[in-house]
Amino acid sequence: MNMKPMFPERGPAFWLTGLAATVSAGTIGLLFVSLVVESVPVFKAEGVSFLWGTDWFAGESYGALPMIYGSLMVTGLALVMVLPFALGSAILTSEFLSGRARLIVKAAMELLAGVPGILYGLMGIALLAVWVRDLFGLIDGNTLFTAGVLLAVMILPTVMTLAEDALRAVPGETRDTALSLGLTRIETVMQVVVPQALPGLAGAVFLGLGRAMGETIAVMLVIGGIDRIPQPWFDLFAPGQNIPSKIGREAAEALGFDVQWSALIALGLVLFLMVMTLTTAGNFLIGKAR
Amino acid sequence: MNPRLWKERTTVFILYGLTGCGGLVLAVILTTVIMKGAPALSGEFLFEESRNFGLEGGIFYQMIGTLILMVGAAMVCLPVALGSVLFQTEFLHSSKLKKMFRFLIYSLNAVPTIIFGLIGYLFFGVLLEAGVSWVTGVLILAVMILPTLHVSIHEAVESIPDHYREAGLALGLSPGQQMRAVILPQSVYGIVTGTLLGLARAAGETAAIMFTATAFSGVRLPQSWNEPVTTLQTHILVLSQEAANPAALTHAWGAGLVLLTLVLFLISVTLWMRTGMEMEAER
Repeated sequence: MNMKPMFPERGPAFWLTGLAATVSAGTIGLLFVSLVVESVPVFKAEGVSFLWGTDWFAGESYGALPMIYGSLMVTGLALVMVLPFALGSAILTSEFLSGRARLIVKAAMELLAGVPGILYGLMGIALLAVWVRDLFGLIDGNTLFTAGVLLAVMILPTVMTLAEDALRAVPGETRDTALSLGLTRIETVMQVVVPQALPGLAGAVFLGLGRAMGETIAVMLVIGGIDRIPQPWFDLFAPGQNIPSKIGREAAEALGFDVQWSALIALGLVLFLMVMTLTTAGNFLIGKAR
Repeated sequence: MNPRLWKERTTVFILYGLTGCGGLVLAVILTTVIMKGAPALSGEFLFEESRNFGLEGGIFYQMIGTLILMVGAAMVCLPVALGSVLFQTEFLHSSKLKKMFRFLIYSLNAVPTIIFGLIGYLFFGVLLEAGVSWVTGVLILAVMILPTLHVSIHEAVESIPDHYREAGLALGLSPGQQMRAVILPQSVYGIVTGTLLGLARAAGETAAIMFTATAFSGVRLPQSWNEPVTTLQTHILVLSQEAANPAALTHAWGAGLVLLTLVLFLISVTLWMRTGMEMEAER
């Protein structure tokens, strides 16, 4: 059996499927190479200071820092807000609900994970932004905070489902052993199941964050759209900008080949690298947990 | 009371509270779209074209545009995803290469959709000279939903019992015959559910098509391959930016309800099919 050739027969089926496989495996590489190549002009014009420049005036100067800052802030905020709800409901669903109730919760989560981003955006601009404005006495409700809250709601189903899978992956015998030693159910969960599922839980959170960081349309509508780091820097109730929103706002006018287009692609490259780091870490942790 | 029992009860209570809050938020979202969208719906709304920059009339051509893009994307994507899965399961034997392949597909799944828009425009809009058009949109969405179809079909093919393949091999089938006679018929479920999920994803996507495939007003059906369409997603996007105008918002909520119904219907069918399959497997 070890002598089997790598590709047994090279009929038309081989070449046809091979072509399809090349297309689907090559896409991601092509995507990355294009991002790098197309962002060269802006790095030529601005140097590496593109990454920490704070001024972005189309046609004059391009600095990405406010957008990078905005991306990190809204994603971090979404993380803080989604964590208790996602983990709490994952633990409840996996450890305390009956099989039938669990199926219903999971199905509901899958439906919700599919709700189009534009609907969250509509909800954000028509309702959430108004509530934030009135609740905190702001002039304008389109702020980094609003975007963070909206993202937290958007990634809740994803994080919850993946975290629940991670908890379910802990074998039942582990629970039985802990219970037979006299631990209560909640002690079993908190001291035995959760520590064992920790890599999977962390993976779920990373994947959720990757989604949050790349989400465009909903954030674009509520983040305020001002390329500025607020003063002081931790003032989340100020309008800001993140990378996807910046690309979304300017892509239509920059469509083409000048430096502005290249600057947007370079922003895309930065976003790509950040999201890939989160997702690869997440998939690695989840794979390890299995 | 026993402190351990007390701790048990409070923690479970807190868990229910957290879950309840999460569930409540999500329930509010669904009811809001339904409550706000339902008043806008009428025969006129569904079957007339939009007038006066979306403030009057209906969303007929927007619905058609969304359908064109999502069905086109699925039709382009399906053969590629299918072929790619078959190559991976039937011809690739090195587990290292298989892992590598899986990694690439999972990475593609994580790419922010706006990046598909940017780079997709370069390739399809500029190099293929399709410009801002429905063809560009279809191709971009096809790439975007590739991982969705791929993973679903792959799962189905992997779950075919070994003795089915062995029976085929014993009959002396070539890989091509094996695929036609054994693999494809046995993985129809995965192909259908994967395609439905892909359709749902394509229908819900806005960022990748807003500057590559669509125009807001004055568009009906595309007459040639390099004309833009108008879609529900981008219609909502433009209207929601006029949130101060109640007429714009009403139309946006109405279009939102139609879009949500479409997407949730597609996902429900896949969920229903999948539970049916699980029950069959348990029997």
